[in-house]
Formats: sequence, C-alpha cells, structure tokens
Amino acid sequence: MSADVSDLSLVRRVQRGDKGAFDALVLKYQHKLVKLVMRYVRNPAEAEDIAQEAFIKAYRALPQFRGDSAFYTWLYRIAINTAKNAVVSRDRSPIEYNIDRNDANEESYDMQGRMKDAETPEGLVLTDEIRSVVNAAIEALPEDLKTAIVLRELDGLSYEEIAAAMDCPVGTVRSRIFRAREAIDRRLREVFEGGLGRTEELG
Amino acid sequence: MNEELDSQLSAMFDNELPESQCELLARRLSKDEQLKARWGRYAVIGATIRAEGGPRLSADLAQRVSVAISSEPAASEPAQVPPRRLGAWWRPVTGVAVAASVAAGAILFLRSESMLREGPTAAQGALVASSASGADHVLVASAGSADSYVVPKTSPRRAIVPTTQLANYVVAHSEFSSPVNRRNLLSAFMTNEAGAGAASAGGAEEVSEEVDDDAKSAQ
Repeated sequence: MSADVSDLSLVRRVQRGDKGAFDALVLKYQHKLVKLVMRYVRNPAEAEDIAQEAFIKAYRALPQFRGDSAFYTWLYRIAINTAKNAVVSRDRSPIEYNIDRNDANEESYDMQGRMKDAETPEGLVLTDEIRSVVNAAIEALPEDLKTAIVLRELDGLSYEEIAAAMDCPVGTVRSRIFRAREAIDRRLREVFEGGLGRTEELG
Repeated sequence: MNEELDSQLSAMFDNELPESQCELLARRLSKDEQLKARWGRYAVIGATIRAEGGPRLSADLAQRVSVAISSEPAASEPAQVPPRRLGAWWRPVTGVAVAASVAAGAILFLRSESMLREGPTAAQGALVASSASGADHVLVASAGSADSYVVPKTSPRRAIVPTTQLANYVVAHSEFSSPVNRRNLLSAFMTNEAGAGAASAGGAEEVSEEVDDDAKSAQ
C-alpha cells in the first residue's frame, strides 16, 4: 500500500477545488508542523504564525504538487523555508528604541492577542488537562491496544510491521488501533466539549 | 456514528486504507464536520503520545488557516507539465537549435528571393531551354557534342559596391572595425569603383547594415 494514499486523496480533492479537504490535512499535520518550526523559533505563538503561513503557502502551491514526494515531505520543506525566512527577516529588522506610545500599545495589544489562548493560565491548564487525560486513557488501555497505538504513533510503524511485531494479522492491528483511539477519544471529547467552550467564554 | 466508518477513518489517518475507500472517505471527510472533529482529535492523541503538543495543544491554528484560505481562490488542477527526464543541459541546446533553424530558414528564404529577383541564371536558362525543346535534344547534345560548361554570370548585386558617402563613413569609423573587415570593404570599394554608379540604393543599404553590425560587435 502506498505510504501517502490518504493524504493524496485529500490533496486531489483540494486540487479539484474542495477546500474542506485541506482542513483535514491541516488538522492532521498542525502539531507536527508547529513542533518542526519550534526548532527555529522559541516563542510558541510565533511558531504558530509561521506554521499558519506555511499552510497558506502550501495551499497556494498545491496546484503544482504532483505527488512525486509524500505530501508531508513537501509540506515539511515549505515550513522549513518559511521558518528560515522568518528568522532572517526578524534578525534584519532594526530595533526601534524610540517607540511611539501608540505603536507600543498596538504592539503590546497584538502580542496579547497572539498569546491569549495558550500562554494564559486557562490555556495552559486546558493543554495540561488534555495531556493528562490522554496519558491516563492510554494507561487504562488493555496491553495489546496500548502496544498497538504506541507502536503506531510513537514509533511510526506500518500496520504490517506492527502485525509482524505483535504476531497477529494486519486486520487485528487495524482493529486494535481503532479501538485504542476510540477509548482515548471518548475521554478527550469530554475535555474538548467542556474545556474549549470554557476557554471561549473566558476569552 | 457508524463503527465501520470510524474504523475506516482511523485506518485512513494512518495511510492504511485502500485507495478506492480513501477516495470515498476523503469526500465525506471534507464535508462532515463531526468526522473532521474526530479526525482532529486523532491528531491530538498522536501529538500527545509523541509529546508534540507544546503549550498550545488547544490552539485554533486549523481554524485560523481555514478562515485564511476561505478568501483564497480554489486550488485548481495542475497544468500538465512534461516529465523532467532530461537534465538542465538540454535547454540551451534547444535554444541554439531553434536559433540555428530560424537562421537557416531565413538564409534560404533570402536566397530564393534574390534568385527570383535576378531571374534565371545561365544554368537555369539552359535547363529551361532543354525542357522546352524536348528530351531528344538533350540526348543528342550529350552524345554528339563535346562537354561544355556553363559559367554562371556573376550577379552585379553580389559585389560590394559602396557609395562614396559610405566609403567615407567606413574610413571615418574604421577604428571600430576589425582589420580584416576594413581591408575587405576598402578593397571592394577600390576594385568596384568603376561600377559604383550602377549600384542600386538597396545594395548600399545592405552594406551599411554590415558596417553597423561590425561597429556594434566591436563595441
């Protein structure tokens, strides 16, 4: 089976004008991309801005994507270049010491806007909550489900490789990973439905 | 929600779903917000296991991107680009080949034009005559008479016949001309001085262009 078949299906849909398919690609790769960009910038808000810019660039360039490489490999290159350019332009921009009071206020407001949902205590608590819920749900999984999901997500093994490692059919691996995800998702949904709504109310 | 559908979604997330099923599910995924939310949570689970989340697991990056691309034009199918089998070296070669073929075409066209303007040459005249009088005459001539050669008459247009004004120009600007070209032009001027009066204005223009080109190349 092609390593990129589902991404390619979504990419083809975007190339036919279906923007909703691009949302799915963003949802899938946003965390990876932010982590990647964090190698270049320390500020998480800035990393997100760069990741956002990389996704938009990728969307604009998608008509030229022919599938010669995996979608994520292609996206990875765009993100790296965007991050490098951002770092260079930031280093080149002169440091203003005589900042007008209005400008300073605007800058301060902008920074507050960018930091509002993550570095505020509510955002951090929510993120910690997600993390602890997921980790607790994984710990509660039966051993075969836990092994399957960890081999898949942490070690990046294919279903076939996991089947060989666990000495079971590929269909069983698929079922175990699905059941593990469902068990974790049940717990996670509660946090998202309650937690994210709470953040919006606070914002 | 349908368990089989969710199982397919999980496999699709891992790029482990057969292509035919992927096509159908991708269509549904792009439209179904509930399915998309589940897909997004699968990504959060993976990110948490890999400790990718950082402090902003809850951030709405996907939403911001979605809003940003909603104002973008829809991505269309890529234009068919020929496969890049050849290296970069073929581009200049192709350019040279095209330029050479255009130049060759231009030379052939100008030659045929000038031949038409000059009328048939002696050889062509002989050929026309033999064709007009029939094939027998040609055979008799070739059998009975000694070999003969037709010397084509030199076209007066081929000689470089500069005008006096042009000669003055060449002499005045000879510092920009290569020695060989300068010598050729001056000797042509001297040997064809007698026929200068017969030179047409068109011929003078041709030489003028040659001189201009030479000056440009020197510069």
